[in-house]
Amino acid sequence: MAYNTSFAEEVFRNVDFGDEIKMCMQCGVCAASCPLSLKMDFSPRKIFTLIRAGKREEVLGSQAIMLCTSCYSCKVRCPRKIPVVDVMHGLANYALRQGFVPRKNTSVFGSEFWRQIYKLGRIDEKDLSRRYFFADGLVPGIKNSLEMMDMGLQMLLHKRMKLLPERPIKGIKALRRMLDKAEQMGKGGARA
Amino acid sequence: MKYFLYWGCSLESSGANFLVSLKPVAKALGIDFVEIEDWNCCGASISYVGAGDLSIKVLNARNLALAEKQGGYDIVAPCSSCYIQMIKVNHEIQESESLAAQVNEILAEAGLHYSGKVRVRHILDVLYHDIGTDRIKERAVKPLNGLKVAGYVGCQSVRPYGEYDSVERPVIQDRILNAIGAEAVPFPKKMRCCGSGIFLTEMDHCMHLVKDILDDALVHGAKLVSTVCPMCAMNLENYQSRINKALGTRFDVPIVYLTQLMAAAFGMDLKKDAALDYNIIPPETLIQAALG
Repeated sequence: MAYNTSFAEEVFRNVDFGDEIKMCMQCGVCAASCPLSLKMDFSPRKIFTLIRAGKREEVLGSQAIMLCTSCYSCKVRCPRKIPVVDVMHGLANYALRQGFVPRKNTSVFGSEFWRQIYKLGRIDEKDLSRRYFFADGLVPGIKNSLEMMDMGLQMLLHKRMKLLPERPIKGIKALRRMLDKAEQMGKGGARA
Repeated sequence: MKYFLYWGCSLESSGANFLVSLKPVAKALGIDFVEIEDWNCCGASISYVGAGDLSIKVLNARNLALAEKQGGYDIVAPCSSCYIQMIKVNHEIQESESLAAQVNEILAEAGLHYSGKVRVRHILDVLYHDIGTDRIKERAVKPLNGLKVAGYVGCQSVRPYGEYDSVERPVIQDRILNAIGAEAVPFPKKMRCCGSGIFLTEMDHCMHLVKDILDDALVHGAKLVSTVCPMCAMNLENYQSRINKALGTRFDVPIVYLTQLMAAAFGMDLKKDAALDYNIIPPETLIQAALG
């Protein structure tokens, strides 16, 4: 594949940990260590090479960049110390900002997760699952809930569900100010 | 010995058996835990969907700054996701002056400052290096008489930093299991990922990961699996019947937190302290038989 640096430069500039891919020597240890690489359209090694070849649509639309389980096997084994996990998360974050949706369910769940942190400073697990199940509306929500009801009931019966709604932390307003400022100062650019 | 206990969101709900059993075990070993007042979520491994990396750093820097202000004791994070997020950000701030300046400029919005001096520790690190297996063994008045346990380590409790145990061949959980009289079986998949935080959203892919782990534990003779991670516990236990249904397996393997086994071996109440009634796949019969 020929080199085309236009997309690589975009990645270095806008993606958190994006400049780390400069160190990649294409050894494939990340791909061999990844628990889900066989389920990916492109392994992490291939993603890095596609970036260098300028394949913007392929990379940002790839499901691979959101199939990372954050197990850190790649990061711990990379002989050139590339934090592969962090690069994958950076690419997924950038892809979402650019209007791509690499994996729908994980995107929906992750957005709700962040919304709760911004709203409360903490996660309310039962509310998070409810919002995730009902993300596509009432009818799919009821279907999803019925499908997962046995699990919810078991957790309730075994005291593994916090019944009271989670209250915002005391410093929530200051936390939101800090997070707003962090989004302005961080890499990544505006959302699509 | 005084430490901050940063237990995080999961240990108040889906991972409640971890927190309930950890507290009496720690107390029995002379560990004095205090809460970081007004702590926030660590962001876990999924926040990249909604926020840039700097925001996630700020979440953790706020907790670190609060801990520094409230006494600066070592922070113990029993949840592996809390642990990895917090220790990662701590290292990044300690290693980069420009990042430290950037983060502190943001923390100033809340009148906070973090100088980088707090240590983030895993509970296994504290149990093994600060307390030691001799004291744990001494406290185990009702040893588990050779109960065969697969000590499942998973990912984020040692990877990627490996500050207190090997990243490829960790031994600490097994040594603690042996100290309380259990037999830690060799278990090659002990470091393989269970799907972590994306199990729910990528269930078709992740079920196979859990199947491989449980198969490996059983092949090596384990009667139950112990863990120190709320995501491992959730994925291995709560989804087990679903995996059986989808993949045609017949797993019925109890999944317990290491601290639940410790509480049992310390002769504590199996419900009130070991929280065995919190488990969906009941481990009582096996544990009671082992206690004799």
